[in-house]
Amino acid sequence: MMSIIVSVLFDAALLTLTLALAALGLAVIYGLMGVINMGHGAMLTLGAYLTWAATSRGIPFVFSVLLAALIVGVIGLLLEHLVIRHFYDKPFETLLITWGFFLIMTELIKIVFGTDLRNVKNPLPDSINLGIVELPAYQSLLACISLFLIFTLAVVFYHTSLGIKIRALIQNREMASLLGVNIAYMYKMVFVAGSCIAGLAGALISPLLSVDPYIGMVFLARSFFVVIVGGIGQILGGTLVGSFLIGGSETFFAALQFKQTFAQTIVFALAIVVLRFRPSGLWTVQGRR
Amino acid sequence: MMKHFLKKSWSEEKFAVLVFLILSLLPVFISGYIIYILPQYMLYGTLAMSLGLLWGFTGILSFGQAGFFALGAYTMGLCMKYNGFGINPAYAGIILSAFMGAGLATIIGYFLFSAGVRDAYFVIVTLALSIIVEQIAVSQSDITGGWNGFFIDRMSLTLGSGREISLFNDVPMYYFVLPLVAFVYFLLRKLITSKFGKVLIGIRENEDRAISLGFNTSLYKTAAFAISGAVATWAGALYGTHAGFVAPSLGGVSFSTEVVVWTALGGRTSLLGVFLGGVMVASLSNYLSAITPRFWQLVLGILFVTTIIYFKGGVAGALTQFTLFNRKTPLKSIQEVRAEQAMRVD
Repeated sequence: MMSIIVSVLFDAALLTLTLALAALGLAVIYGLMGVINMGHGAMLTLGAYLTWAATSRGIPFVFSVLLAALIVGVIGLLLEHLVIRHFYDKPFETLLITWGFFLIMTELIKIVFGTDLRNVKNPLPDSINLGIVELPAYQSLLACISLFLIFTLAVVFYHTSLGIKIRALIQNREMASLLGVNIAYMYKMVFVAGSCIAGLAGALISPLLSVDPYIGMVFLARSFFVVIVGGIGQILGGTLVGSFLIGGSETFFAALQFKQTFAQTIVFALAIVVLRFRPSGLWTVQGRR
Repeated sequence: MMKHFLKKSWSEEKFAVLVFLILSLLPVFISGYIIYILPQYMLYGTLAMSLGLLWGFTGILSFGQAGFFALGAYTMGLCMKYNGFGINPAYAGIILSAFMGAGLATIIGYFLFSAGVRDAYFVIVTLALSIIVEQIAVSQSDITGGWNGFFIDRMSLTLGSGREISLFNDVPMYYFVLPLVAFVYFLLRKLITSKFGKVLIGIRENEDRAISLGFNTSLYKTAAFAISGAVATWAGALYGTHAGFVAPSLGGVSFSTEVVVWTALGGRTSLLGVFLGGVMVASLSNYLSAITPRFWQLVLGILFVTTIIYFKGGVAGALTQFTLFNRKTPLKSIQEVRAEQAMRVD
C-alpha cells in the first residue's frame, strides 16, 4: 500500500513538472505581456520536429534540443516583429492572429516533415532505483530541468533589475515608459524568451511520445488552464499549482480506476469551476491583483 | 412576409432571398454529388451563423461550437438507435437536440457570465468544452461507439395520416434541409435587428457602458449563447442524419476552429456573409483538397491571418466597402449605427 501511494505521488510529481515545462513558455508570454499566444502549441510541435530532424541526422541530443529552442526563438522573433507588435493593445486580435500562426505553422510542418509518426530516441532509457520506487531516468531529468527553469525565471523576475523593469511594465505601462523603460524592446525580449522556452519544452518532451503534427494541440488547452488556474503572472507558484491540478491530479483519478480520457474530462470540468469562483487564479492573494 | 423583409433593410435580405432562390433552383439543373453534399455545407453554414450571432454581434468568441454540433449529431443518432419516444425518432432528435443545446449553453453561459468571465477566459473555456465533448464521446464507448463512432439512419418524414416519406434520396433531403436553413437565417436576422439584437451589439461595442445603462448584460449574453447553442446543436442533428455517421472528431478542437475560420472569412458582422463563408469555404476545401491537398490548408491559414489583420469585416465587409450596397460609411454596418442610436436613446 505504502509503495503504491509513494509511486502515485512520484508519478504525479513527474507529470506535474512535465506539464509545467510545456506550459512555461505560455505562462511567460501570457503572464508578462497579456498576449494570448494560441501559437504556443505549434511552437511545441516545431521544437519536437526540429529535434527529430537534428537527432536523425546524427547531431547529439543535447545540441539538437538547444538548436530547436534557438530556431523556435528566431521564429518567435519574426512573428513578433512582423505582426504581433502592431497589436499589443488588442488582445482579441492577437489571439486570432496567433491562432492563424498555429494553423499556418501546423500546415508547414505537415508539408516539410510529412504526417507520419516520428520517434525521437530516448537518450536516457534506464530507470533510477530509489528503493521503494523506480523512476524513469529521462523523465526525472526533465522534471529537474523544469524545476530549474521555473526557479531561474522566478529569480530573474523577482531579484534582478530586469525583473523590476518587467514588473513595472505590468503594473503601469505608461509610467514605466516615462521612467525610461524601453517597452517595445522589453516586449520583444519577453516574447522571444517565451517562444524559446516553448521550443525547448517541445524538444525535451519529444522522446516521451511519438511526434505528430498535432502534439502541440494536446498541450495547448492544458497549458492555458495551467496558467489561468494557477494565476496569470504567477510564474513560480502559479505554474506549479496549476500544473499539479491539471496534470498531476490526473494520476490520482487514474489511480482511482478512471479511464484516462475520462479523468481528463473531470479535470477540465473542475478547472472551469475553479475559474468561475477564482477568476484570477488559485495562487493569487485575493484583492491584490 | 417577403416584402416586409425587403423593406426593413433591403440590402442584406434582398441578397439573402436571391441566394436561397438560387440554392432552391440548383437541383433542377444539376444532380449527383453536389446535390448530395450541398445540404451538409448549408448546415455548416448554419453552424457558422450560430457563431456569427455570438462573435459578430455579441462580441463573444467561442471555440466550442463544434462541441454543440457533435452533441446534436450524437443526440440524433441515439434517438434513431433507440427509436424515439413513440414519435418519429428523427423529430424527437431534432427537437431534443435543440433543447439540449439551449439548456447546456444556458447552464454554462450563466455559470460563467454571471461571474464576469469574459473575453479570452471565455475562449479558453469554450476550447475546453469542445475537448470535453470529444473526450466524453471517446470514453463512453458503450453508448457512443468510442473512436469509431456509429452509423445513423437517414430520417423520414411522418405525415398526419400515417404516411411516411423517406429522405433517403438526395433531392428530397435537399428540399427538406434548405427551407429549414433559410428559416433559421431569417429568424436570426430578425433577432439581430430587433431590440434584443441592438442590446447585443451594444454589449459588443462597449459592455461597461451597457451595464451602466442598466442592462443586465450577463443575462443577454447567456441568452445569445443559448440561442447560438440551440442553433448549432440543431444543425448538428440534421447533419448527423444527412451524413449518416458521427464520430468524436466532429466535436473536436480542429473542427471547432475551422468554424471560426469560416466565420472570419465570410465576415462576422454579416449573417449572410457568415452563412456563405461556411458554405463556400467548406466547398472550396473539398474541391481544392483534391487538387492541392498539401497547400490548400496553408492558403486557408494565410487568408485567415490576412483577414484578421486587414479586413475585419471579412469578404462581406470588403464587398460593402466597395459600395456594393452603396453605403457612405462602409465599415459601420446598419446594426452598428442602430445600436449606437439605441444606446443613446435608452
